[in-house]
Amino acid sequence: MNTLLQATSKISDVVNFKNEWLWLGNLGQAFIIITFLSAFAAMIFYYKHEKSGDVAFRKAARRSYFIHAFSVIAIFSVLFAVIFFHRYEFYYAWRHSSNSLPVYYMISCFWEGQEGSFLLWIFWNAVIGVVLMRYSRKWESPVMAVISFGQVALSSMLLGLELQGVKIGSSPFELLRIARPDFLNIPILGSIGIENYLSIFNDGNGLNKLLQNYWMVIHPPTLFLGFALAIVPFAYSLAALFRKDDRSWLQPALIWSLACVGVLGTGIIMGGFWAYESLSFGGYWAWDPVENASLLPWLIMTSAAHMLLISKNTGRHMFTSHLLVQLSFWLVLYATFLTRSGILGEASVHSFTDLGLSGQLLVFLLVFIGLSASISFKNINQRRIFNRIISGVFIGAVALSFVIPSDWYSSFQTGLKWFGISAFFSVIVLFIINLYRNQKTNLEDEKLSSREFWMFLGSMFIILSLVQIFTATSIPVFNKLFGFRTAVPVARDYNAIQLWMAMPIMLLMAIGQYFSYRNTNWKTWLQDAAITGLISIATTVLLNFNFKIEGYHFLLFLFLAVWLALGNILYVWKLKKLGVLAWGASVSHFGFGVLLVGVLVSSVNQKVLSSTQEGIQLAPEQDEKGNVDVKGMQFNRENRILYKNDPIKMGTYEVEYDYFEQGINYDSLDKFFYVKFRNQTGDTFTLVPKTQNNPKMGLLAEPSTKHYIHKDVFTHINYESGMDKKEPFSGFKTDTVALGQVFTTNSGKRKLTPLSIEKGASSNGLMLRLVLLVQGINQSDTLYPQILINEQTGNLESIADQNEGMGVYASMLSFNIQDPDPSKQKISFVIQSAEKEPVRDYIVLKVVEFPWINLVWAGTIIMVFGFVFAITNRILLQRKVLS
Amino acid sequence: MKPLHIALIIIAGLGVAAVVSLYGNTTKYVSFSEAQELSQNNYSKQVHVVCQLNKSKPINYQPEVDPNHLEFWAKDSLGNESRVIFLQPKPQDLERTEKIVLTGKHKGDYFHAEAILSKCPSKYEDAPVKKEHPSEIPKSL
Repeated sequence: MNTLLQATSKISDVVNFKNEWLWLGNLGQAFIIITFLSAFAAMIFYYKHEKSGDVAFRKAARRSYFIHAFSVIAIFSVLFAVIFFHRYEFYYAWRHSSNSLPVYYMISCFWEGQEGSFLLWIFWNAVIGVVLMRYSRKWESPVMAVISFGQVALSSMLLGLELQGVKIGSSPFELLRIARPDFLNIPILGSIGIENYLSIFNDGNGLNKLLQNYWMVIHPPTLFLGFALAIVPFAYSLAALFRKDDRSWLQPALIWSLACVGVLGTGIIMGGFWAYESLSFGGYWAWDPVENASLLPWLIMTSAAHMLLISKNTGRHMFTSHLLVQLSFWLVLYATFLTRSGILGEASVHSFTDLGLSGQLLVFLLVFIGLSASISFKNINQRRIFNRIISGVFIGAVALSFVIPSDWYSSFQTGLKWFGISAFFSVIVLFIINLYRNQKTNLEDEKLSSREFWMFLGSMFIILSLVQIFTATSIPVFNKLFGFRTAVPVARDYNAIQLWMAMPIMLLMAIGQYFSYRNTNWKTWLQDAAITGLISIATTVLLNFNFKIEGYHFLLFLFLAVWLALGNILYVWKLKKLGVLAWGASVSHFGFGVLLVGVLVSSVNQKVLSSTQEGIQLAPEQDEKGNVDVKGMQFNRENRILYKNDPIKMGTYEVEYDYFEQGINYDSLDKFFYVKFRNQTGDTFTLVPKTQNNPKMGLLAEPSTKHYIHKDVFTHINYESGMDKKEPFSGFKTDTVALGQVFTTNSGKRKLTPLSIEKGASSNGLMLRLVLLVQGINQSDTLYPQILINEQTGNLESIADQNEGMGVYASMLSFNIQDPDPSKQKISFVIQSAEKEPVRDYIVLKVVEFPWINLVWAGTIIMVFGFVFAITNRILLQRKVLS
Repeated sequence: MKPLHIALIIIAGLGVAAVVSLYGNTTKYVSFSEAQELSQNNYSKQVHVVCQLNKSKPINYQPEVDPNHLEFWAKDSLGNESRVIFLQPKPQDLERTEKIVLTGKHKGDYFHAEAILSKCPSKYEDAPVKKEHPSEIPKSL
């Protein structure tokens, strides 16, 4: 690789490559460097202002940050221009876009590649920074110093420098011929000259088909905004630790953490909806490690937001508030590391591939944890000593890795690994000890009848649920570190545990708000809990007449979810005088309850309508409960074959594959299959699942779903006859016949009759089209073999026609005009026919019924409204306090 | 002991239990021969095998006979080969895969895969040989 690079750098010294817009890349690269440096300057100036209070520093810091924000937008624009003008001399454009990509999907190119998605993150952080500059008032300098530090770290991911073989960042403006020097060696360039390589590389590799979906235009930006928001509470926590013992950070940190939970949650569910609507696995959540990586920060931020609320209202649990807020951001960094380092390769279907930046990502995580640990020292001298030790050790390790003899290198690396692991954990422990010493409060015990007690417990149960997901998702990391060979759990394992883990949280959410802060009258509380509980039991029973859920654990879950929803919506009654905005928490909790009911019913009661017990028998099988299935037929047969116009029964529906249509979609051929559903009640609808023969990704299928209020019918094509290897035609036979003269194919099974001849013009000459009637045993069809009289070449070109369903082929080879007398003119045609076993069109279809899945989406929307209320309410309250 | 501390200890205990049971329930990446040994020792859990499709042997999928039955041969990294049966339709990119991860159990003389995760790292990074003509597909129908 290295020699190749050197070779190309030599080539580029000699060769003058044509048509490259190098200036555009240089411009982009310049903005990347400005972005990096201006963030660095803003960080230093804000820090100086915090230390000295000199307003001049703040002015300089603000200016630097504005330059920073401007140049981030400039990078964005330049990269968009690279994609928009199809400048394939840049690797990013070549790799992620193509000429046929419509403009509205060009923005999606930003998140197919790692560089673009870092850029998106940087963009959101830049926007958040500008908002904070305007509204954070007295917290501006320490908070913005941390944000700027984050921007320094993030924009270094775009630098694209290579020092001594160590890669620092990866630039989106890298040239194709530098990224892939092997491309300059392809034979065709020998004939046209290496300098003209762009005339061959005149189209890009294209955007992943799965990202060409409108949900993929909004899901990643939402998710990244959620990730970006996590830095703000973190920054406030560090700022508060730095300034010591100031509690006014809690209110802004709470607002920002609520925003983070709301946005991140919406982003996650949007991803689920996208998966459900356009992916093949038939569901919205698969516990894939990449999905889990986004859930981890959400869970802990949810827990942290509740802790902040407790701390703000009671002054208790400052330690836990700080700790969780810090952990949230660390987990965002950890999630980034997981999804981008390639470490999940064997465990996940959709992680990024490694760009060689995993080391840098790991360094970030360590640097931020180190920063937190350093700031957690109350004593300045101790902090200085810590900083010196840490930077000394870091620089020492880096220096050693350069000078160490190569034969010691592997043992050095092993040593470094273990040293790193132990240092990592000791720094975290140190941080926790410091934090505990600084933040422990000497208040009297909270009462069992206080809201803070139960809310604290709820937060801890969220952490419990998180611990399980974290450990399971981190298995590939542990494998790498300790050489284990453990596999990540499958979805059922997660479901089995998380079902129980959710229950205490749900219970506390159902009854928690009936406690007041500090102290509650047990009698009124018991009354409220009993009334809402009884109403919920009744509602659960009624609902289950429709849901028909079996199994006590599912029923318990349903009851708790209903109680959670009703408990919160009934609580609004108590808040009715306070106005809509005060209902935020209740509304979003209600939404969450609705969502959980939807999750339970749509997954426990989903019915695979296409399941079957027919097929090839296998060895006897035994399921987990010990039921033996002698034929090995019982499990896992979820697809049915549907021959064209041959309806079969699936559930209550009669399902018929009617016909298919083909269409062109940008760069690929789409096939739309019209599948008719009918049931006895006269309910009729047609679904159109689709397959696509994509030149880059092979065959892709897109499901089609019929949405009712109370259920969805989901169809997905897993195979179709067009994917079969075609049997060739055989038994070729040539006949010379006149119009109206009947002849047969070789076996005599199919009768052919030329009916008439039609004339037409094509751009190349005269076109003659024979109308040929084909009759089989029970079916008949018309074939249209053609002859083109090519005016340019003077040749006759024949274009055959065939019918796979009847297994017949015909081609008009030539025609003779037999009688020169025009009045008796008789034309005969030389027709070649062939035949094969008829091929019937079919599709292999999976049909799943998801009952009440709309509750999942409805619950999410309600939740988002709740968050909007809550955040608006908090902002208004803060304004009131300040004015 | 405050009630809060008791509750925290209980939650921490549950956390430890969750992690322990998680590790107790996890499965391993194994080779085909290990999968066979495990099945002979009545190991009831599923295992994962990282392997490659043997493209020289036929892939058998006949939807007319059984749309939920796919058979092929795969080789693991140690070179052990096994027949694989997968009770679902043929994954559409199976022939293109460089590496597949099978989840399932060894049974009789075949590996019964319940899930196939296929990895085609090169699927976006196509070979640089470009078409000399622009797309062959007509732009409209």
